[in-house]
Amino acid sequence: MSGTARVSRRHFLGGIAGTAAAAILAACGGSSATNTPNAGTGSTGSAAPTAAAAAATSAPVATTAASGSTPASTAAPAVISSTGKMTYWGGLIFSDDANNLQVQTIKDWGTQNKINIDVVMINQNETNQKVAAAVTSNTMPDALDMGLDLLLLLSNQKQLLPLDDTYAKIGKAHGGWLKAVDTAVDPKLFGGTRNGIPYGMGGNVLFRRTDVLKKAGFNDAPKTWTELSDMSEKVTKPPLYGMAFAISNVGDGNDMVYIMQSWGGRVADDQGKACTIKSPETKAFLQWVTDEYKKGQFPPGVTTWDGAGDNNAYQSGQAVFIKNTGSVTIWMRANDKDLLNNTLYSAMPRGPKMLVSPSSPVIRGVPKTSKNPDAAKALLEYLANKEFTQKYYPLAIYGPVLQDETTYDLFKTDPVHIGLADLVVNGTAPAFPDVSNTAYADFNNNYIVPKMIQRVVIDHYDLDKAIDEAQKSGDAIYAKYK
Amino acid sequence: MAARQGNSVLGPQSSALTVRRPFWTFSRRGSLTGYLLVIPVCAVLLTLVAYPFFYAIVISFTDRVVGNAGHWVGLQNFRYLWNFVSFKRALTNTLTLVLVSDGLKLVVGLSLALLLNERLRARGMFRSFILLPWAMPGFVAFLTWRLLFLPIGGAFNLILTQTHIHAGIIDWLGQRSTAMPAVIVATVWRGFPFWCISFLAALQNVPQEQYEAAKTDGANAWQRFWFITLPSIRHVILVVALLSSIWTANSFENIWLMTQGGPSDATMVLPVLAYFGLASQRLGEAAAVSVAIIPALAILVFIVAALLQKD
Repeated sequence: MSGTARVSRRHFLGGIAGTAAAAILAACGGSSATNTPNAGTGSTGSAAPTAAAAAATSAPVATTAASGSTPASTAAPAVISSTGKMTYWGGLIFSDDANNLQVQTIKDWGTQNKINIDVVMINQNETNQKVAAAVTSNTMPDALDMGLDLLLLLSNQKQLLPLDDTYAKIGKAHGGWLKAVDTAVDPKLFGGTRNGIPYGMGGNVLFRRTDVLKKAGFNDAPKTWTELSDMSEKVTKPPLYGMAFAISNVGDGNDMVYIMQSWGGRVADDQGKACTIKSPETKAFLQWVTDEYKKGQFPPGVTTWDGAGDNNAYQSGQAVFIKNTGSVTIWMRANDKDLLNNTLYSAMPRGPKMLVSPSSPVIRGVPKTSKNPDAAKALLEYLANKEFTQKYYPLAIYGPVLQDETTYDLFKTDPVHIGLADLVVNGTAPAFPDVSNTAYADFNNNYIVPKMIQRVVIDHYDLDKAIDEAQKSGDAIYAKYK
Repeated sequence: MAARQGNSVLGPQSSALTVRRPFWTFSRRGSLTGYLLVIPVCAVLLTLVAYPFFYAIVISFTDRVVGNAGHWVGLQNFRYLWNFVSFKRALTNTLTLVLVSDGLKLVVGLSLALLLNERLRARGMFRSFILLPWAMPGFVAFLTWRLLFLPIGGAFNLILTQTHIHAGIIDWLGQRSTAMPAVIVATVWRGFPFWCISFLAALQNVPQEQYEAAKTDGANAWQRFWFITLPSIRHVILVVALLSSIWTANSFENIWLMTQGGPSDATMVLPVLAYFGLASQRLGEAAAVSVAIIPALAILVFIVAALLQKD
């Protein structure tokens, strides 16, 4: 009896184990079953892009047809292959109107194509960190906005889908890409493919307070950095400061890199392989900037400013010159018309060696893990349509990326947008004259140049010691990428 | 089967000798139930605590970057960090922040707890009120402190200039001598309520008879505090100090929101340095920065555990 009981218990346990195993297998089978359609999607890869391409072109065509500029397509809109759900990480910018417009446009496109799109707007200062976590945990969105640094990092790790076809299509539909834009996303820099679609060119424009400067007898914009510091010296009267430029451990602090480059200082050699920051040119730059700091031309706090430090200083009337991408203009338009009327914009001044005024694209990309690559590509293509960009550019302060966009009235009438359009044409490539690579990005992510300046003005290092330390840090960083 | 054979061949007398106790005795069944009940907790601890902890340590020995599992590189990340100027400063600053702010939290927390343990009017209200800094979201608290310390328009400078105590502007967060003290003040303000409430709870469990007996023996207030109060709440002080040290060593928002580690690494701490590493997508290095603080914390844990064990 007991033997029977033992056997039956074993059977019972065996039965449970068998059921559990069957359940696990079923679950695995289930996932492979759910994968099957995906695999199917993959296997119909050749068909899917065709459908997506048709849909992508149909959407903008339908839009432009409505505006009467392009003949309407008579074909029924093609269905874009998707899982019905997408996630888009947008880059949050200072203009709420621009953010809202982007979110709404993406959502509307999703509704039109029967895709529920979750648009998450992310502070651009935190995109790198969020992406790092998302790649590691395999939770990347279907598409995202990013800067050039992140494009470089993700391209190096083969985390992005090549978008050469989409890039070419958009270029063809809008008169071609502007040269600076085309160069900035040159496949040579990104592993041989176009991994992102630029949607705006950002860069700093020099803001100046004309009311203050005119009183001191200055009517024109400074042409060189030393001219700027001379002008600043004449108008600085605390709590009004001439040179409201960040020297802190944030992205704005890294603007000091291109000022140093305009002095002839270099982060690395021509191959982008070895750090070469220690040079007489760097020393000359460091001498200039620290002298100006010691003269009290920088507002107090610039060594710990956050990304909005220059905005706050200018908006509160404490700054004469700032370098800004245009977010201050958005604020002035809404809040301070007097300040707006007393503000003029110009290109970055020259240094003793050259003019370095970088413009850099903001980019949309599709992670290789996207479950909806065709829909994501179609969406990016749609977002380049004229109807959207004509509304978007005035709200988001960006320069144009496509030839057709340069004809928008905005780039001929609005002072900031004129400056940005000029920057796209006459500005310098990102990292120029250095090589834009991951070591350069890592160097900047560690804020070596602003820290070098801080060592002199905060820790009272002599110039050589501060440069030696920067060189040592740069050596350590560049050695990692050899 | 053996028992059955013995039964049949050797008869009932020998069968009594060969009878075995059933395997599933009451105590074994009880033990099994205990183990089964503990398994879920162990599984959760292993999954949520042990696995990430040891995984972070493993990653710190690799050249892992985002999207690439990387290779084992031994101590390379640690060698790189040791040669990286900011790392040594971050290590020193982290220890300074922990020691000084926890010391101050102890003094402030204990003083207020002793005060609130007395019979005061509106004592309940004060006890609730004291929790406010701790209950407030960290980013609100530290951004507010940042605004208070602003060189132009900040409250502290306004007070100093309006009262003619100091004529010029003090850049509290922008100079080495004042940046870390400013961050410590904000960190203490945010963290002392936890100490205070914990001590208050402990103080309420100290038997009043001891105080009365000490008074009868002629002990003064200081002697009562030193010989009765402190020994009675010693366990709580040790545990709170341990927890607070771990939290402070890993705190990020206080530094990030107030100074971003600046000026010139004056307030750079390990969590902020790890965050910079993450910005470069170099997970191995970022993990190495985080792991670097573990030995110091482990020593602290062992000391506290030993002291608790001693009691």
